[in-house]
Amino acid sequence: MVYDEPYRWVEAVRNRRDYLEEQLSAGSPIVALPYENGVLMATLGAGTSKLYEVYDQIAFGGIGHPADLEKLRNVVLDAAHVEGFNRSPVDVTVRRLMKFILAPMVKQAFEEVLHAPYIAKIVMAEIGILSGKALFFHLNYDGVFEEQERGVVLAPTAPMSERMAAFLNAAGETHSVSLKEALQIALRTWAVSQLPTDLEAEKEAGAPPTPKELDPLLKRSLESHTLEAALLDRTQPGSSKYRTLSHDEIEQALKGWLK
Amino acid sequence: MHNGDFWSLLKTNGYKLGPGTLPEGREPIESKIALTQGTTIFGLKYKEGVLVAGDRRATAGTTVMYDRTDKVLEIDRHSVMAIAGVPATAFEIARVMEHTFKYYRRSQLQELSLEGKVRALSKLLKENIPMAIQGIGAVAPIYAVYDVARKEGKLFFYDILGAGFEAVEFTTSGSGSPAIRGILQYENRWGKRPLAELSEEAAITLTMRLLETAAEFDAATGGSNREAHLYPVIKLVTMEGVREIPQKTLESLYSRNVVGRSTAGEPGLGIG
Repeated sequence: MVYDEPYRWVEAVRNRRDYLEEQLSAGSPIVALPYENGVLMATLGAGTSKLYEVYDQIAFGGIGHPADLEKLRNVVLDAAHVEGFNRSPVDVTVRRLMKFILAPMVKQAFEEVLHAPYIAKIVMAEIGILSGKALFFHLNYDGVFEEQERGVVLAPTAPMSERMAAFLNAAGETHSVSLKEALQIALRTWAVSQLPTDLEAEKEAGAPPTPKELDPLLKRSLESHTLEAALLDRTQPGSSKYRTLSHDEIEQALKGWLK
Repeated sequence: MHNGDFWSLLKTNGYKLGPGTLPEGREPIESKIALTQGTTIFGLKYKEGVLVAGDRRATAGTTVMYDRTDKVLEIDRHSVMAIAGVPATAFEIARVMEHTFKYYRRSQLQELSLEGKVRALSKLLKENIPMAIQGIGAVAPIYAVYDVARKEGKLFFYDILGAGFEAVEFTTSGSGSPAIRGILQYENRWGKRPLAELSEEAAITLTMRLLETAAEFDAATGGSNREAHLYPVIKLVTMEGVREIPQKTLESLYSRNVVGRSTAGEPGLGIG
């Protein structure tokens, strides 16, 4: 097949979109939102870690092919560290990493139909060192990205993403909530992805899913999956603000709620 | 392909440590221009970990360049590097170290080992040998780490060619160091208690006295100055991480235990 005719190219891109949607469909969603000390990112997974430290104040999460995610993560890491060394750590911002490095790279790979695309969707978060304000980015496999000041959801399919985002939005402003509350909101948002699809109709009736519907789903998921949670915690000593939540902290947060 | 080596990443981006070496046959400029130097740093193991301190003077020849230099630099959550020698190179080495460890941790998804960290500084000093032997960029640092796995503080010192040595109890470097090395040995051997058993407060008091003594005998070492609220930089590396002693604490300890002749002045009983 010759892809350099415009019609063929459009068709090829469409095929590739279908292929990527299918490849990504089994991924477990990631939820990222601001809380009183910075940013929380959380997901439930079956093994491979999905959340990573990129720089002092920047975190990275992704769903997709592990090798592709590693490749993209390393590109971002290299750029961040060279910049942070040559200029200053405050010059390393999620906005620049996303707009000038990651998004163009992913878009190019997606459109070069004779080469393999990246099977990856990425979410990045930052607690601004100077602004003190959280910022989130969400990148699709075709290079389309979105910037958010409130939390974001990274889900494998568009409908799931929409449902989860609606739930997260309904939770309102989270900038001043405690870690425990933020974790509850994040996990319940994640649990929305587990709702059977026939509840879609109920959602359209207006009310977002209630904790009563979500918590049993979540409890069941926690039996077969491991909870992974990472923070960009402004109160951390030293320059690096990223840390993962310990087993004890997670137990503590779930106590009296799910366990 | 990816081994977490930040130094190679920097070099592929065209980075070079320090200025280029002098052309063949060109004389070093040391005799003509006085280079900025930092002096008197030391580290000791006390009860809870390692204490690392430095005076704050930077000199060029007989000129005091700056009296607020921070010669004890935080490298990561559990380590600090103290610098004696030419700040231009030393600050740069500290910056490379900081990024090297971060980069390794983030790219390899594990912390660089203690041995790896100690070697990293050796390698950077080795890169700097051409500068050091031309007399225009010698650095003799101290590197202190708290080994979280083994729950103990570790102390290393280096010569300008990059040889790393582990100090058992204490170490000191810089032109003011001969003045205090003997005192440290004396305190450790015949003081009320060995250095490793000192409380935090006693270790800080001893530190301020030592730097005051070094300043007395070495013009390149700056002392404390109460009017200017100027005290040494003292950082503690413990299980909890790196902590800098705030000026307020130094101020009150200085007034209480350093000025004049304190009650703990009996021979062999320097610190209580």
